[in-house]
Amino acid sequence: MENKTPLSPHIQIYRWHISSLVSITHRITGIINIIGITFICIWSCLLLLGENNYEVINLFLKSLFGKFIILGITWSFSFQILSEIRHLIMDLGYGFELKITRITGLIVIFGSIILTIIFFTLGKNFI
Amino acid sequence: MVQISLPENSKTKKGKYFKDKTGSKNLRKVNVYRWDPSSGEGPRIDTYEVDMDNCPSKVLDILNKIKNEIDPTLAYRRSCAHGVCGSCAMNMGGKNGLACTTPHENIDGDIDIYPLPHLKVKKDLIGDLDGLYKQYKSIEPWLKSSSKSDSAELIQSKEDRAKLDGAYECIMCACCSTSCPSYWWNGDKYLGPAVLLQAYRWIIDSRDEERQARLKKVADELKLYRCHTILNCTSACPKGLNPAKAIAEIKKMLATANI
Repeated sequence: MENKTPLSPHIQIYRWHISSLVSITHRITGIINIIGITFICIWSCLLLLGENNYEVINLFLKSLFGKFIILGITWSFSFQILSEIRHLIMDLGYGFELKITRITGLIVIFGSIILTIIFFTLGKNFI
Repeated sequence: MVQISLPENSKTKKGKYFKDKTGSKNLRKVNVYRWDPSSGEGPRIDTYEVDMDNCPSKVLDILNKIKNEIDPTLAYRRSCAHGVCGSCAMNMGGKNGLACTTPHENIDGDIDIYPLPHLKVKKDLIGDLDGLYKQYKSIEPWLKSSSKSDSAELIQSKEDRAKLDGAYECIMCACCSTSCPSYWWNGDKYLGPAVLLQAYRWIIDSRDEERQARLKKVADELKLYRCHTILNCTSACPKGLNPAKAIAEIKKMLATANI
C-alpha cells in the first residue's frame, strides 16, 4: 500500500518565472565556469611547453566550435558576475519584492548578453 | 537528492473525458489530477468540460461545480472559501495558490489542476502534509518566556509589534514550501519557506526570551541554507507574504550575531 502511493508532479508542471530561471542558470553557469577556468589553465600550461601547442590551440580557437566555446564562456562569466551581484544585494536583505526581483532578473539576463558583446569585441579588437 | 523525473508509479495517464451536457457555448476544459487509492491503478488526468456561463469567478467554484454537477467522486480539501483557512491550496495553471482566491480568468488556455507538488498523494487533489507539520512542531512555535505571572501582560512596543507584520499572517497552507525546488529534493531536512517564516516570526518577537537558542537551532547547512533564492515561495504565497526575505533576514542575523 505504502509504496503504491504516488508522488504528485513537481518540476514537470511548475511554471517557470524569471527568478527561478536566473537561479538555475546561475548554478549551470557556475559549473561551466569551473570547467572553463580549468581549460584556460591547461591551455596556458601547454603554451609554456612549446610552440607546437600554440598552433594547435590557435587552430582550435579559430574554428567555429572554438569560437562557440569562447562566446559561451564569456557569456557564462558575464551572467555569473551579474547574478552574483544580485545575490550579494539579496544577502544584504534588499530586493525581495516580487516586482524588483523581476526587474533585477531581467537586468541579469539582458545585461549578460550586453556584457558578452562588450567583452568579446574588447578581446577581439584590443588584445 | 535531485530527482527530476517522477517514479514509475506516479506517472500520469490520460483519464476519462466528461463531455458537456448543458449545451452551453461558453465551455472551458479543466484537467484534473485523479488518483484513487482503492482502485489499484496509477494516477490519471481527467478532463471536464465546464459551462462557464453559470460558474462564479474562482477556481474553487469550478471544482465545486464539477463535484456537484458532473463527477461527485472528485476529492479535494476546502473549507472557508475566503482565503483564511488554507485548506484548498493546490497547483493551478502551473502555480501554487488557494483555489478559493485564484480567479480562473487569470489562467490561459485549459485549466490544469494538480495537488501541491512533490507530496505523497492521499486521494485526487489531497496531498500528505504530515512532514511539514512535524517540521513546524520542531521549531516550537509558541512563546517562551520565564515570566511566572499568569495575569500580567507581556508588554510590547508598537515598533516591536510592527516587526511581526508580514510574518504572523501566514495561514500554513503550504503553497510556498511545496513550490520550492530545494524543498522538493531536500524536504526531509530542509525546513522550507513556510516553517522558516514561522521560525523567523518567533525569533523576532520581542517578548520571546529564547532568541539565541532558536537561532542556534535553525543554523544548519541543511535546515536553513538550502534556500537559493529561487523565489517560487514569494511568488506563490496567496497572502502576499515574503518567506524568501524572512529566510534572508535569518541568514543575516546568523552572520552578524555571536552565537
